[in-house]
Amino acid sequence: MSGSGAGPIGAPGREVLLGAVRGQRRDVALGAVLGAAHQTGEALVPVLIGVVIDQAVAGGDAGALARGLAVLAVVYVGLSFGFRFGARAGERAAEQAAHTLRTRLVRRVLHPGGGAEQGRLPGALATIATEDAKRVGAVAMAVMAGTSALAGLLVGAVVLLRISVPLGLVVLLGTPLLLWLGHLLGKPLERRSEAERERAAYSSGVAADLVTGLRVLKGLGAEPAAVARYRRTSRDSLVATLRAARAEAAQNGVVLALTGCFIALVALTGGRLAAEGRISLGELVSALGLALFLLGPLEVFAWVNADLAQGRASARRVAEVLAAPPAVTAGGALPPRIVRGAVRLRGVAHGGLREVDLEVAPGELLGVAATDPADATALLRCLGRQADPGTGTVELDGVSLRELDPADVRAAVLVAEHEADLFEGTLRDNVAAAMPGDAPPGTLDRAMAAAGADEIARALPRGADTVVSERGRSLSGGQRQRVALARALAADRPVLVVHDPTTAVDAVTEARIAAGIRELRRGRTTILLTTSPALLAVTDRVILLHEGRVGDAATHADLVRRHPGYRAAVLS
Amino acid sequence: MSEETPSAERVLLPTAGAARTWAAARELARPHRRLAIGAFAALAAATGVGLLTQPLLGHIVDLVAESRPPQALTVPAVALVLVAIAQGSGTALGLSLVSRLGESMLARLRERFVERALRLPLDQVERAGSGDLVARVTGDVSLVAEAVRTALPELARSLLTIVLTFGALAVLDWRFLLAALLAVPIQAHTARWYVRNAVPLYRRQRVADGVRQQRLLDAIGGASTVRAFRLEDEHARRVTRSSWSAVELTMRGVRLVLRFYSRLHLAEYTGLAAVLVAGFLLVRSGSASIGTATAAALYFHSLFAPVNSALVLLDDAQSAAASLARLVGVADRPSDEGPEASGVAAQAVRESGGLKEPAVTVRGVRHAYEAGRPVLRGVDLVVGHGERVALVGATGAGKTTLAKLIAGIHRPTAGSVQVSAPAGPGPAVVLVTQEVHVFAGPLAGDLRLARPDASDGDLREALARVDALTWVDALPEGLVTVVGDGGHRLTATQRQQVALARLILADPPVAVLDEATAEAGSAGARTLERAADRALAGRTALVVAHRLTQAATADRIVVMEGGRIVESGGHDELRAAGGRYAALWESWSDARSSTP
Repeated sequence: MSGSGAGPIGAPGREVLLGAVRGQRRDVALGAVLGAAHQTGEALVPVLIGVVIDQAVAGGDAGALARGLAVLAVVYVGLSFGFRFGARAGERAAEQAAHTLRTRLVRRVLHPGGGAEQGRLPGALATIATEDAKRVGAVAMAVMAGTSALAGLLVGAVVLLRISVPLGLVVLLGTPLLLWLGHLLGKPLERRSEAERERAAYSSGVAADLVTGLRVLKGLGAEPAAVARYRRTSRDSLVATLRAARAEAAQNGVVLALTGCFIALVALTGGRLAAEGRISLGELVSALGLALFLLGPLEVFAWVNADLAQGRASARRVAEVLAAPPAVTAGGALPPRIVRGAVRLRGVAHGGLREVDLEVAPGELLGVAATDPADATALLRCLGRQADPGTGTVELDGVSLRELDPADVRAAVLVAEHEADLFEGTLRDNVAAAMPGDAPPGTLDRAMAAAGADEIARALPRGADTVVSERGRSLSGGQRQRVALARALAADRPVLVVHDPTTAVDAVTEARIAAGIRELRRGRTTILLTTSPALLAVTDRVILLHEGRVGDAATHADLVRRHPGYRAAVLS
Repeated sequence: MSEETPSAERVLLPTAGAARTWAAARELARPHRRLAIGAFAALAAATGVGLLTQPLLGHIVDLVAESRPPQALTVPAVALVLVAIAQGSGTALGLSLVSRLGESMLARLRERFVERALRLPLDQVERAGSGDLVARVTGDVSLVAEAVRTALPELARSLLTIVLTFGALAVLDWRFLLAALLAVPIQAHTARWYVRNAVPLYRRQRVADGVRQQRLLDAIGGASTVRAFRLEDEHARRVTRSSWSAVELTMRGVRLVLRFYSRLHLAEYTGLAAVLVAGFLLVRSGSASIGTATAAALYFHSLFAPVNSALVLLDDAQSAAASLARLVGVADRPSDEGPEASGVAAQAVRESGGLKEPAVTVRGVRHAYEAGRPVLRGVDLVVGHGERVALVGATGAGKTTLAKLIAGIHRPTAGSVQVSAPAGPGPAVVLVTQEVHVFAGPLAGDLRLARPDASDGDLREALARVDALTWVDALPEGLVTVVGDGGHRLTATQRQQVALARLILADPPVAVLDEATAEAGSAGARTLERAADRALAGRTALVVAHRLTQAATADRIVVMEGGRIVESGGHDELRAAGGRYAALWESWSDARSSTP
């Protein structure tokens, strides 16, 4: 994973964190107010215990006992109500904040400019969109809980001050000191928690990668080796986790000991005041109860601190994805309203391509045969504007693609990659995914027939309504290719670039598909990047791409006749 | 409410029952018994010491009530400090031991899970969707980890505090204990009510999380396709919908939990009032001091936190248990479950007498992925040692299925597949499919999956044999360049070369190639055909071929149609016979040589 080592949260991370809380301010505020009511009630309980002990138990007054218990009942109703609805608001804030971030993350990853998935495993990105988004959202809840705890602390302090100023001061000065010490102890925990999260993300990334490659492992009988590899990763992760857990346990222990010492101090001070007759016995009991009660808010502060630490680390990872530089940026030009489909490459150098000049007339069916598959990939990336060429320009109807928004480019030019993914849904859903809304009736069926996908539908249990599971993995390689091709044809774009669409299709079907593409794309620009002679044979003209340059251009028949390099590349 | 559900045809992976889940947890704990006892002892000691706090505070109250001089308070105050220090250090030790126990068990569990997950039958994983498996590997593991990290130590502490506090109340006066116990029926009833309602809700939550994960992986893993087809909005909407559906279910869970707390508040009030009344009566009758009554009230008050957290942890325990059941469901599969379990046909034998039987014997094999839709309808095939057989036929003829059965990836519905090979290390049969996944990490690590003990020299030799060494040496960091998802992008040809190099390293006597050269397009195909030829040298080989040049050079060609073998023989023999192969060859060589 690039650039996610330990470090400060950074401005973008802070912005993500603040934004998550700000976006839910109404729920956070409501939660804080109701939570404060709850904490106030909790603070009053020990006070009331003191009052009952003082007035009823010590005095033997049954009437005072009844009155005390009645007041206690009212306090309980209030604190119960405050808690129930306050926590609900807080949780809602946390869930909604996480949901909003998740949505933003997915939108960023899918943004036409691309670039967010650079250097990150899909599994790791998915973890950021689920776990890290959740941790950032949890900060909204933590802020609310922290505020409520602070309220409880203040109520306790005020009551203590009213009992006795010196006693109140001990609490008021002692608690911030305790908090500060807790914060100090939490710092190293933050660093460790970060390292641990990275490890866990990496180890779950490894697990997800191995599971994705399940078929390869099975074919190879390499499961034991894969298991051994995962075990090493898991062991490394365990070591990091145990370090973090030890630090956390030590921090817990120290906070507990400090809190106990603090209570001893309050008891000593209060006891002396009571012994000197400056406060009553009941007030001493209240003070002691309050000091014990204060443990609660203080512990809340401890977990709020831990949640904030995790939230900060997660916010940084989220911010890194959100702020990832796009692979391509939008230019200022508007796309042509009616795309004629003239494509021109001028002096394009990208990857293995060197000085490629190429002109495709509107409506032409062009074949491009590349002797090096890497050149074909580079050409595709430029045509679909997944990347801009290092030098030279790619033009559509005379406008450089660099001047256009990548989304507008793709509305006009569809690059159907060789390894296109299918998605969850039926066969029909997949083919119709990018079909224009105003497509004439029958477009879908024609595209399916041209790609030979109608045959697949007929062979499936529920025809075109069969659910394609797992990004198409339930289909065979050849079936998947034909469905993907049908989808590209049904999208009906002014310019269509197809890369090796029939590599896993048998010879008979391939010939049918070639004829189908020619028929369906008549009059619209189509580029077939392939070395399959069956496909190249139906094109108007073929360009031979050799050593990063245009080696020759002619009809398939002419090239076969006159160019030995072409024969070698295409007719093996 | 629009709850997102997985596709109807999905059959999720197994989930363990409650009893089995507990048994598995106990099994995981067994090797750490000493650690468990140590952790428990440390926490119990720390909690016990901590319970001295309330009597010490009660003692201070009594000293004041008896009008003793302020100096008399110093001793109990110092004792309070000592108690705090002892409690703190004991808790730190105990928590750290509990974490070690939990984390070690968790590590063992996730390793076993991955181990078993990799041995699941492929069709089962596909039916469930790999999102299910990935969600378990990431989400469920992280949920259980969270529970182990926070809930487990907290639960241990809380339960100890509750038990020991009840004990301490009884020591003060048994009647205080009786009063305190009045809260228990309310709490028990509440807990039962909660569990009854929470279990089905959590189950639905898990399902919704699985759907959300699948949609996320769909969108993120297929981002390039999504962008090309401008499906960004559609996929963002899908993720949003499934995420929101998960949020709604979570909020239903939250509302349930909060109602649960309301009822617990009632229990608290009941118990507290009872203890105060008991104190009132006992002090009035002279059987207890005011200090004792104070200590009792403080004890009960200090029980709120541990009781609540123990009951809340029911909540975490519920969701963790659901996740655990999903992990155990997979981790618990017996390891010797036929061919699917090991990835190698159970019928594959490597023994010294392995050459006596033919290398591959297929007898009366029928196979159907779904009942009623047969893919193979009775196949018999015998392949001799060192023979190279090409499988030819139109898409859907059953070639790939036959290849998978021979490779032991699936078990035939009927009939038998036998692979026999001479004794030796490594698998008897290896399958290279059109599915080329390059594992994330250094290239050398990927290759070593095939032979873990291979030296760098072995790796280079294998790469050289498939003509890959030149480009591997040209990679930024050669053999240790990070490839796969997130690493250096390899071309289709390069990935196939890596797959063939793995085959050489695994060095099986029998190799099955399923369209292994198909993905690269014809330009790469020639390179790959040469590479495949070398990788198969000296092995018994079954090649599923679309490119008939590959078939033409095989020792024997087997033509399949509609799940049956319809022709079998040498290239010239079949061409002369004028059957299906002859027709196929004609259409193919037509497309290769003539022009329209």
